[in-house]
Amino acid sequence: MREHAPRARAAAALAAAIGMLVAGCSSSTTSTPSSTHSATSSPSSSTVSTSQCGTKPGVTATGTPIPVGGIVTDQPGTSFTDIAFMAKAYFACVNANGGVNGHPINYIIEKEQTNPAQIAGEAKQLVGSDHVVAIVGNTSILECTIDHSYWEKLGFDIIDSGIAPECYSTSNSAAVNMGPRYSSDGAVQYALSQHVSKVVFDQSNVPGTGYIAAGPAALAAAAHVPIVQLTENVPISDANSVAIKEVDDAGPNGAVVLNFTPPEALVILQAAQKLGLENRVKLWGCSTPCNTDFLAQSLGPKWNNKLFVNAELAPPDSTTSASMSLYRAILQQYGSSVSGGVGSFSQMGFTEAEILVHALESVTGAYTVQSVNAAIRGVSGFNTGQLCQLWSYGSYPMHIPNNEDWTVTPSNGKMTTAQGCTQISSVDPQIAAYRKVAGVAQAAP
Amino acid sequence: MPSWQDFQPFIVSGLALGGVYALSGVGMVVLYQATGVVYLAFGAVGAMGALIAWSLAQAGAPGWVGWLVCVAFAAVVTLAYGMVFGPALAKRDPLVKAVATLGLTLVLFGVMDLLWTTSGGRSRAITLPTDNPAFMIGQVQVIWTQVIGLGVGVAIAVGIGAFLRYTKLGTAMRAMANDREITATLGVPVRRVEAAAWLGCGVLAGVAGLLLADLVALDATTLTFLVISSLAATLIARLRSITLTFLAALLIGLVHDLLTPIQSLTNYRDMTPFVLAAVALLVISRRRVMSTAASREEA
Repeated sequence: MREHAPRARAAAALAAAIGMLVAGCSSSTTSTPSSTHSATSSPSSSTVSTSQCGTKPGVTATGTPIPVGGIVTDQPGTSFTDIAFMAKAYFACVNANGGVNGHPINYIIEKEQTNPAQIAGEAKQLVGSDHVVAIVGNTSILECTIDHSYWEKLGFDIIDSGIAPECYSTSNSAAVNMGPRYSSDGAVQYALSQHVSKVVFDQSNVPGTGYIAAGPAALAAAAHVPIVQLTENVPISDANSVAIKEVDDAGPNGAVVLNFTPPEALVILQAAQKLGLENRVKLWGCSTPCNTDFLAQSLGPKWNNKLFVNAELAPPDSTTSASMSLYRAILQQYGSSVSGGVGSFSQMGFTEAEILVHALESVTGAYTVQSVNAAIRGVSGFNTGQLCQLWSYGSYPMHIPNNEDWTVTPSNGKMTTAQGCTQISSVDPQIAAYRKVAGVAQAAP
Repeated sequence: MPSWQDFQPFIVSGLALGGVYALSGVGMVVLYQATGVVYLAFGAVGAMGALIAWSLAQAGAPGWVGWLVCVAFAAVVTLAYGMVFGPALAKRDPLVKAVATLGLTLVLFGVMDLLWTTSGGRSRAITLPTDNPAFMIGQVQVIWTQVIGLGVGVAIAVGIGAFLRYTKLGTAMRAMANDREITATLGVPVRRVEAAAWLGCGVLAGVAGLLLADLVALDATTLTFLVISSLAATLIARLRSITLTFLAALLIGLVHDLLTPIQSLTNYRDMTPFVLAAVALLVISRRRVMSTAASREEA
């Protein structure tokens, strides 16, 4: 009996501890926005000076600050702060070069941990305490879902990096990225263009998978190609078996398309490589999160022209536009907080900030919620220098202003362009619905 | 239902994972027997060791240096924890002792999140030289790391079993599992025996961290919480039997992976450790109730 009592207590302790661990574990299984880092290389062609940020080079703006807010997810394993930090860097550059008509932008970043009450509270704080007149740079797993009605009621038109369906399907949110669904569309579309006989589409088992899967399913159905939809619990604890299952399901002339965060995609691809599975299918595809040089470096040359990744923003290494140079220059001078350096996250922050500044410059009179958001809504045909198309907001019931993309493939530790700008197919009913109300955006020059 | 051929590769991957789970589970059982502590930081110390090994490799250090540092780090942190907090918590309830190690887990987890952030989609990987070349068993490609995963699991289970049975130190550990106070009064150097258990457990945590970083993923969250499967194995063995822990770990790894190709069950395969542990606990408690009832009848 003496021995049994402590053991029973130990078993109870163990069971309780497992419960605690599981509770801790569950908070780390999240999805991401559909874009992540593309590179960490140092700026190489900063021929453009940061003085081009504003209209008065070298003159610090001293007018009444324009308060602007943003809400980003920041929790262990899932942090989108780089997007907001890059927007802040852009605003710092603008403020140091004359501001917006002499007014500096005061950018207030709120971080959240996927807690609905916290997210709603932060939105109210930004409005009630900080008196923001615009919301930009939002990148959150839940924010669009939680706050879109609140913003709509107050007349805010948000510029964000979308994750949740509401970031694309509501009247007052317009993203600079395509989000997981349309990025997955792009990856599946590329696979179908290579005449694969079957598609296996695998993604994280998190809320919203049905919404994301609907796009690839529509594309495959239209091409009369069978598609197998899979979901995996994350973090993945058995990458070898996941890779084997995908390859077995796809067959030798099929394609495996992944929609995971970079670490999860990496473990699957690496498991496939270790088991010699990479050539057992015709090609591998991935939505934008795989567009990262970290991944290209970790995978090695076996995946050159074997893995094809959707890229929503211009590939930094092969784009020499003035916008890209300015982005690099700002990142170098003001972006010390941007931990990931050059890449899609910071590109998104840059793009959102430049759209807002463009809108603010068109405001005449006081910077109020009404005037600023009318200006945001009025942005039309703006050349961001980071996207395939000109970017527009407009008064539409839904917004998918980025619906044309690149495809990249690993090459010697870098992601390089495999296919230039290609429109996401209107076979996806959401894309069709958007083009019906907004038309097809003009290609960026 | 998939064919037998479809299941074959999953047997290999399941056995490899099960082997590493067994290695972890055996380490935890030994530590519990000697100290009464359920070491929940087992996964976290291994994860941090593996991340340090990765950083060293990135800095240009030879691979073997990283592996040694990984094991040494896990061993030193575990030993240090045991020496600092072990005596203070020695007389506390098992739940308190377990939760204290959860504190270490959270501290290490926070440090890993800070030093090896995944912000910006950064991902890392460890590749051991045993990943190449692979060989074929029938139609199934097998890598040597998988063989090592299973082999180390078997070797540790057999070795630790023999150690506990045939060595003086092992006998002392078993005695302490029965009654720490009486063992101490018999002249066994309790602190030294506990230190050996903490150190051994730490070494196993480092080895498991390295193997799992290669076989599963080099990710702080993944590696920290993979310990759940090993915990379930120890629970099935009631923190007592090395052999049962080993078999339970293999079973968990196998069942988990064999469920993968079954479409209707594949999304539930992560429940494997919980389901098997719950079933085992129910069977054990039922048998205990029945034996108690039989004893009463005899009386």
